[in-house]
Amino acid sequence: MDAQFLVSLTLIVATFGLYIGIALYNKAKATSDFYVAGRGVPPVFNGMAIGADWMSAASFIGLAGTVMILGYDGLAYIMGWTGGYLLLTFLLAPQLRKYGRYTVPEFIGDRYRSNTARLIAAIATIIISFTYSVGQLSGSGVVIGRLLEVNAAVGTLIGVVLIAFYSALGGMKGITWTQVAQYVVLIIAYLIPVIFMAMQLTGNPMPWVSYGQVIDEMRALDQDLGITEYIVPFTEGTKWQFLALMFTLMAGTAGLPHVIVRFYTVSTMKAARWSGAWALLFIGLLYLSAPAYAAFSRFILMTQVAGSSISNLPAWTASWVDTGLLSVADTNGDNILQWQEIVISNDIVVMATPEIANLGIFVIGLMAAGAMAAALSTAGGLMIAISAALSHDIYFRSINPNASEKKRLLVGRWSIVIATVVAGLVALNPPGAITQIVAWAFALASGSFFPALLLGVWWKRSNGPGVIWGMVVGLSVTLGYIFAAKFGGFTILGIIDTGAGVFGASAAILTNVIVSLATKEPVKEVQEEVIDLRYPEQMTYRDGEVWMDDTEDVPNSTR
Amino acid sequence: MKKIEKSVADAYFRARTTMIIIYLAIGILVSYGVVLFAEPLSQIAFNGFPLHYYMGAQGAILTFIILLFINAVVSDKIDKKYGIDAKRNESISAGKTYDH
Repeated sequence: MDAQFLVSLTLIVATFGLYIGIALYNKAKATSDFYVAGRGVPPVFNGMAIGADWMSAASFIGLAGTVMILGYDGLAYIMGWTGGYLLLTFLLAPQLRKYGRYTVPEFIGDRYRSNTARLIAAIATIIISFTYSVGQLSGSGVVIGRLLEVNAAVGTLIGVVLIAFYSALGGMKGITWTQVAQYVVLIIAYLIPVIFMAMQLTGNPMPWVSYGQVIDEMRALDQDLGITEYIVPFTEGTKWQFLALMFTLMAGTAGLPHVIVRFYTVSTMKAARWSGAWALLFIGLLYLSAPAYAAFSRFILMTQVAGSSISNLPAWTASWVDTGLLSVADTNGDNILQWQEIVISNDIVVMATPEIANLGIFVIGLMAAGAMAAALSTAGGLMIAISAALSHDIYFRSINPNASEKKRLLVGRWSIVIATVVAGLVALNPPGAITQIVAWAFALASGSFFPALLLGVWWKRSNGPGVIWGMVVGLSVTLGYIFAAKFGGFTILGIIDTGAGVFGASAAILTNVIVSLATKEPVKEVQEEVIDLRYPEQMTYRDGEVWMDDTEDVPNSTR
Repeated sequence: MKKIEKSVADAYFRARTTMIIIYLAIGILVSYGVVLFAEPLSQIAFNGFPLHYYMGAQGAILTFIILLFINAVVSDKIDKKYGIDAKRNESISAGKTYDH
């Protein structure tokens, strides 16, 4: 047991203790606490919770590496995963908040007056969230395993027990406040190393301003080596693939149930708009830093690792070579390591930074705690989404509508525990298909939820058959294109499987419109509900007229 | 309850929707627009970055964040102009919410 182990362990145990303490303090007492945190979360804190919910272990560990390896083409992820918040905040979140339900499938079922639509949406929620959470749990296993030097399986199990405990106890209310704490931990852990690295390389503690000069120096280095320059666009795929991927990630973000449901936890439409703004500010801190990490790491690899003799590599390379994530084979046998001989996995860029920049054991421990916070917060949000789909959309709304409050809380709690344990067991030995489905989750969400919600909010003529066929066709086209592109070599304009959402979403919208127009228009009540979403809470649309509630406000009078 | 003239209600919706269309157009321009013209834009330098790279790594995100805050502030202003009281909204929303 060395000092590093003790420091990492202490930091991780301390943060875990914090999360459990928060959950104990915020125990859910009613179903509205359990599903929507009592709808009283202040926008700034909801912004942080959205940030933690959204930024997964993959964002924390892998995003910078992806940008480093793909160069300009990796920026499609940066723009796509942030731009989604424009669609969400401008087009969906406030309106969904005014409609005031517990879950996304419930909105779809009630707005379209269709139990079938609600069940399809509930099943899609479960599939998307489940596969996504398997990725989080196996990610947390790798982090705990690597930094506490235990088996990854033990790491996964620690994560499972923790999440099952605190999310079953606190429900959405507990998760919200643990996510706020997890956001603070993960963003501090992410920013400290990159700020130090910026000071060492550029003498400027603001990596966002200073990495431009590193990019500029790398152009010269790339030209000397005669390799494709880092910033040259569309080296990994066509321009259309870049655009399609960006669209898929944006529309998918706006359609992921575990993110949307966070907007249900605030009090008003206004609070939903502010939540979206704060959320992207908090998310932006990480997304603006990831390309800086990428540039600094690539620069260090090119100047300090490449070109040195194979027997005299920096000490930090050895431990990463052991993990198989870094390969430095001297293939041409000249005892000098060339840039072309370095093969690096995108997962090491962030995690190796404290060692590369020689930041000491405290920062390494902090990184571990940050990566765990990223994995746990996302997994917690996903577990709530799965549990809500099972216990609310399926059990309460379809199987037993007379269930008591107490019984529903119990079913909710047990469905979280069971879902977490099952996801954990799958995560111990994740089938290859899981990683694929995680990569496709955005395409699936943009082919199913995004069109259903968009038309549900903005087009009163859209009806039950329209949304059912829309979702079915959207999902089929998305999956069909994914398989044709991935395994059949079929592509349109060079768009590969990850950009499939653009076809799925178009097909779903088209189908929804055509089927809706070909079938009976929704009852008057539904159409009025949709028009009502145009106005703030104080205005109500009824019988073709808008009414303003102008009574004096007496706080809590209507509760 | 007081009835609102249709023209007033429509004007509220139009004001909000127009702003959203403008924000989305700007958002699309700084992301999709820049990608479409990435090659010519790469000739322009900005703070050490070629412009297309700068926009992808920072410019687009900063624009998105600013747009979201402008939207929050401007929407509040529009609400105020139409006599919407945020506190009243909270009470109504808490009462009307479909908590079951």
